[in-house]
Amino acid sequence: MASARLVPGPVSTEVRAWDDLIDGLMCWEIWGRLGWLEVKRRYRRTVIGPFWSAISICIFVFALGSVGSSLFHRDASDYMPFLASGMIVWVLLSNTITESCDLFIDGANLFRQLRFNYSVLAYALVWRTAIGFLHNLVVYVGIALIYAPHLLSPAALLALPGLFVVAVNGVWIALALGMLCQRFRDVQQLVTVILQLAMFVTPIFWSPNFMPAHDARFFVVIVNPLYYLVDIVRAPLLGQVPSVATVLGAAFITVAGWVVTYQLFCHYRKRIAYWS
Amino acid sequence: MARVEVENVGIDFPVYGVQRSLRKALFERATGRFMPRTGPRHTRPVVNALDGVSLALEDGDRLGVIGHNGAGKTTLLKAIAGIYEPIVGEVRIEGKVTPLFDVLPGLDFDDTGYENVVTAGLLLGMTRRDIKAAIPQIEAFSELGDYLSLPVRTYSDGMVTRLGFSVATTIEPGILLIDEGIATGDAGFGERAARRMAEFIGRSSILVLASHDEDFIRRACNKALLMSAGRIVEQGAVDEVLSLYRERRQGNDGAMHARAKMAT
Repeated sequence: MASARLVPGPVSTEVRAWDDLIDGLMCWEIWGRLGWLEVKRRYRRTVIGPFWSAISICIFVFALGSVGSSLFHRDASDYMPFLASGMIVWVLLSNTITESCDLFIDGANLFRQLRFNYSVLAYALVWRTAIGFLHNLVVYVGIALIYAPHLLSPAALLALPGLFVVAVNGVWIALALGMLCQRFRDVQQLVTVILQLAMFVTPIFWSPNFMPAHDARFFVVIVNPLYYLVDIVRAPLLGQVPSVATVLGAAFITVAGWVVTYQLFCHYRKRIAYWS
Repeated sequence: MARVEVENVGIDFPVYGVQRSLRKALFERATGRFMPRTGPRHTRPVVNALDGVSLALEDGDRLGVIGHNGAGKTTLLKAIAGIYEPIVGEVRIEGKVTPLFDVLPGLDFDDTGYENVVTAGLLLGMTRRDIKAAIPQIEAFSELGDYLSLPVRTYSDGMVTRLGFSVATTIEPGILLIDEGIATGDAGFGERAARRMAEFIGRSSILVLASHDEDFIRRACNKALLMSAGRIVEQGAVDEVLSLYRERRQGNDGAMHARAKMAT
């Protein structure tokens, strides 16, 4: 990282930003290590480490699951796997978003000492949230074994491309929110508020098909970008192929998010060191 | 062939604080529509850290940068390193740059010495193979023995310095940028460290060394540069620049007054 071979002559901000993203991705040893060290640091000297997060989700799912299945008149074999799979994907997304806010604030001690591809920090963040997700996956497997073992079929592997889509989105979310929150410290607080609300608005505890047909409130689901990112992973875990709407929605978010973030990154990448 | 060209570089640090909020920015944006801009476009205070700095270095050049606190020495080094991409002017580098501002980047006190060596090595641009090859050297020079397998929090400050120094000096430096931190570190542990430092510097193609320490600059450098208030006052032969520095230090020095100004 510290070593840089810069091209002589003027280099456009677009080239610098592109190189940052690509070279950063190539430094997989560095972001792999940074991500892993962060996980280790957080759970240092605990016995079960990241499984604490799984335990918390597990308690949540059992508690809410028993209430929810009677509230929504759903069979437990239906509702419990739905809730468990939704929750682990939600936790993945909300961790990504929350931690993105600190990306360049916490990373300052690295990129102010070394020449650094800023994207490395984003890849490290996505990697460590992915590690968390893999631990939380235990909850889904456990619940599925108890309530609906047939869900654990090879079809569930369709969740992998979905996860890849979430990871690709995670990188732009990290870069965009990282820059915004570093420059405007209020945004972080705003994000916390929005996320709290989003947990209830996004269909995690409830499914859109709990709604009466043609309900105007269905609008809330359609405009919620998080819904598509949750559903693209959750649907395969529930033995379904993601719907066309979900795939298109996720594709749209990925493209739109990256286009906007890339513009931001080209314009403001240079400023990141000055903002810290 | 290594080369460093710094051309008319200016770096301003915006001072955030009271204005660092979305509300202010939104407000400025909103009122900007209704009120014609009469004053300067940006009224945020900035610290002018570098101003119109130009220099050129080639293979074999060892440049000592001297000046008071806040003269812009570290900022100049960080601009050459590519940490701060200049707002005005241009920095052109040919060759690999090794900036040594933090010799143990990513240091985690709960990790063992060995683990920290790997983290720091990767961040400093070494491959895993380089690091593996450097381990015996690091073991020998740091003399930390079994401590290397213990968490760094069990180390004394001196031991951490020794570890950092051992790691940093195993790098193939290329264009080497050293801030006074590591330079003063060597005084702490003697002749052996000074020799290793000299040998390390000897392997570099170009050296830029920022320091207050005239002796260190005299020993390590063949060129010097005096900075004050973000500008280059003089560059040339080491003795001339150092005597100018001494003269100015005795007289009334302009570098000490505050340089915060409103940007235009």
